[in-house]
Amino acid sequence: MNTDDRALCDALAADLDGNFEHLVISWQDRLYRFALRVSGSPSDAEEIAQDAFVRCYRALQGYMPDRIRALSLRAWLYRITLNVARNRLRRRTPPGEELGEHAAGTPDPGMLAVRAERVRDLQQALTLLPEVPRAAVVLRYVEELSYGEIAGVLGIPEGTARSHVHRGLRTLRELMTEEVTA
Amino acid sequence: MTIEEMLAEMRQVTAPADLLPAVMRRVLPADAYFPLESPLGTVYVAYNQRGVTRVSLAASPEEFETRYRAETGRRALPAEDAALQAAVRAHLAGQESTVPFDLDRVTPFEREVLHTALRIPRGQVRPYNWIAREMGRPGASRAVGTALAHNPIPLLIPCHRVVRADGTIGQYSLGGPDAKRRLLQWEGALFA
Repeated sequence: MNTDDRALCDALAADLDGNFEHLVISWQDRLYRFALRVSGSPSDAEEIAQDAFVRCYRALQGYMPDRIRALSLRAWLYRITLNVARNRLRRRTPPGEELGEHAAGTPDPGMLAVRAERVRDLQQALTLLPEVPRAAVVLRYVEELSYGEIAGVLGIPEGTARSHVHRGLRTLRELMTEEVTA
Repeated sequence: MTIEEMLAEMRQVTAPADLLPAVMRRVLPADAYFPLESPLGTVYVAYNQRGVTRVSLAASPEEFETRYRAETGRRALPAEDAALQAAVRAHLAGQESTVPFDLDRVTPFEREVLHTALRIPRGQVRPYNWIAREMGRPGASRAVGTALAHNPIPLLIPCHRVVRADGTIGQYSLGGPDAKRRLLQWEGALFA
């Protein structure tokens, strides 16, 4: 685990209420992004990330300081976020309409538009993948976790995580090619 | 462009600005508070289920809420508690106090100092070393002074009734020596 996360765990173990805000500040972009890529919907992602942080807080309240210090924070946070996302997405119909991407800045509108469209298409393709390979691909190539960490998040052996990522990528490649040729 | 490169393009995401405040609103425990008119102006009295947690001077409720959050890690929400408000007024008037205090966040030594200060009647003052002696630690006057300076519940826990041994007034966290003098005059302590 990196030193930032280690220091964060130490601080949370010492004073949860005083330091929880630091956890949210340092992880909100990543967990929101993960929720967005897995759910395909900005409004779902916002609620998933919010619920995930609240769940983290409640869990940390029940942990002894030693347990907090020993947490593999990264995998733990993604695992909680993924569980919240799964529970939420199971209760609703698959997303499809609300895939708006807001491109920040305006250096070259043409380039940005092309890129935004590419991201939108890929997001659409991602949401067509089954849950586990979808999460595995996002964790590997968007969140940049190692296969060992992905295995930890998904609660599966490392080899299985690896094959989910590869199969997920292959399916994505097919979906994107179909779209281009269609 | 490979699929891996396209996935990397999906990294440029920033969480909505509402996320942080929304999370903090849901997780941070909240205490309650009410404003109280005092000889020092409007002070804010915060409390939880265990008792009063803090008394603080502030220019506005918002300023008090912000400071309370920074100092305690807890939110303070305005509330009405007629029984507690009546008990606080009676306490200030020098009647027998039924105000509960939550001193969980101070050290045992500080707590003992504050409990000892509570025994000084309205209209009277004591030197720092009186508290130290009462605690059976006659050499601890300096530590007593520090503990009183960190009193989270000034006005109600009357650290203003503790003065220097030479009779000069000493410091006061709730507005300095002038405020301390005004308060003691209001209470009728013998003071020129």
